[in-house]
Parts: sequence; C-alpha cells; structure tokens
Amino acid sequence: MKISTRGRYGLRLLVDIAEHASDGPIALSTVAKRQKLSEKYLQQVALLLTRGGFLNSVKGSGGGYLLKDSPEQIKIYDVLDLLEGSIAFEEERDGENAIERILRLHFYRPLDEQVERLFADLTLAEVTQAAWFTYMI
Amino acid sequence: MKLSTKGRYSLQTLVYLATCTENCSIRKISEATGISSGYLEQLMIPLRRAGLVEADRGVLGGYRLSRSSITCHDVLAASEGDFHPAPCKECQKNGMCKTHQIWSLLQRAVVDFSKEVTIEELAAQLVASETGGGI
Repeated sequence: MKISTRGRYGLRLLVDIAEHASDGPIALSTVAKRQKLSEKYLQQVALLLTRGGFLNSVKGSGGGYLLKDSPEQIKIYDVLDLLEGSIAFEEERDGENAIERILRLHFYRPLDEQVERLFADLTLAEVTQAAWFTYMI
Repeated sequence: MKLSTKGRYSLQTLVYLATCTENCSIRKISEATGISSGYLEQLMIPLRRAGLVEADRGVLGGYRLSRSSITCHDVLAASEGDFHPAPCKECQKNGMCKTHQIWSLLQRAVVDFSKEVTIEELAAQLVASETGGGI
C-alpha cells in the first residue's frame, strides 16, 4: 500500500497554506522553499486542489493561493480522496471471480468503512494544531 | 490508494488454499484464481519464507497452508513487505512533520483491521457462497 507523491505533496501544501493563512495569498515558490519541494510539481498539485474546491488562486503581483474554506471545514478524508483519485481499497472490475468477490465484500469494503470512520472528523485544523503540539514537546 | 497486485493476488491464493482439503498444485490454483503459474511461483516465495504456506514435491505434491488462524495482515506483511503507506522511514523529521500523523492513522487503520480478518473466515464465506449457488 502506498500513498502517491501527489497525495503527500498535496497535504503538505494545504498544511503549509493553513499555517500561514494570516500572511494573505501564498506563492508556491514560498511553499517550495519552506517545504523543500519542487515548485513545478506543487503547481500541478495546486491546480488539482483548486479544481477540487480546496484552494482559491489569486492572480497578479502578491498573488498566490488561499484556502477556500476555513481549516475547520476541510476534511482530510476528502482531500486524500481527491489527491489519490480514490482512497478506497474496494474496486469492482468486470469478470471478477468468486474469490475476488469474497475479498471485496468481506475485506476491502469493511476496511474502507473502517478508514472512513477513523478519518470521519479529522479536519485540516486539527492536523495543524496537533502537529504544533507535538513540535512544542 | 491501492494494495499492490502482489498483495491482492497473495490474499486470493491463500483464501483458495484454505478451501482445499489436500495439497494444491500451482496449476489448480492458477485455474481457480486466474493468476498465471509463473506469477504464482513468485508469490509463493515470500509466503513460504514467512511460514504461511508449505509445499510437498512429487505426485501428490503441491501447496497447503502451514497453520491455522492466518490473518490478512500476515499475508500482506509477507507479500507487501513493511506495509508503510508513505515513505516516512527515511524521513529525518518524523517528530515535527505535520502530515506524519495522517499516515500513521491510515497505517494503523489498515494494520489493525487486517489483523482482525482471518483467511479461514474468508474461505468459509467462499464455500458458503458456492454451495448457495450464488456465484
């Protein structure tokens, strides 16, 4: 099981923007420097997050990206689901055999439900605050 | 997010083996699962090493499960290796990484749940669905 680079970069981008929200629109070059990530790649991820309704882009000088909603309203599960294409393990394919079907119904599907329950209430706000707490220790 | 093909195929292979009452040849497993014989041979290497399956040579040879109560986690740990959703292992700043806890949460969800599901209960579901004529 692997989370894609897109998933990892996308979350770091959102967390960075959430933490510096008081600075106004944040340029990707700033995030790239702060997070030591490639700016080119961040551009692709930012575009996806904008289309997905998590970021707003502000054009012009002093432009950059802002969170579309408050961090309290952004659910981590939804972000991962967008970045990963789908966070679900269950996948139905044509011509699945009896064994695949059993695994899908009795392992992958309940596993997805378990992940969904665990992530149900986790918001971007909680992630930034909890991480800050860890950092303080 | 997906399990690797290796992980999925290994689960299928073990569920099938759990329904067999005697040794199963690679050919028979291949017919039941649709996985090629060559690939099955490869899948068996880590599964044998992890002590989940054993094999006999000869006319009545083939594979069988080595023990009872094998969980999905046992299989995935053998076939997928370390089972980390994100490559945090080489990361130098786990303590203060803002996203690390998300990956830990995800990993824990998958590990904990896959420890609860046994290959035997999946095999029982398979047998029940086949005798019920459902598939």
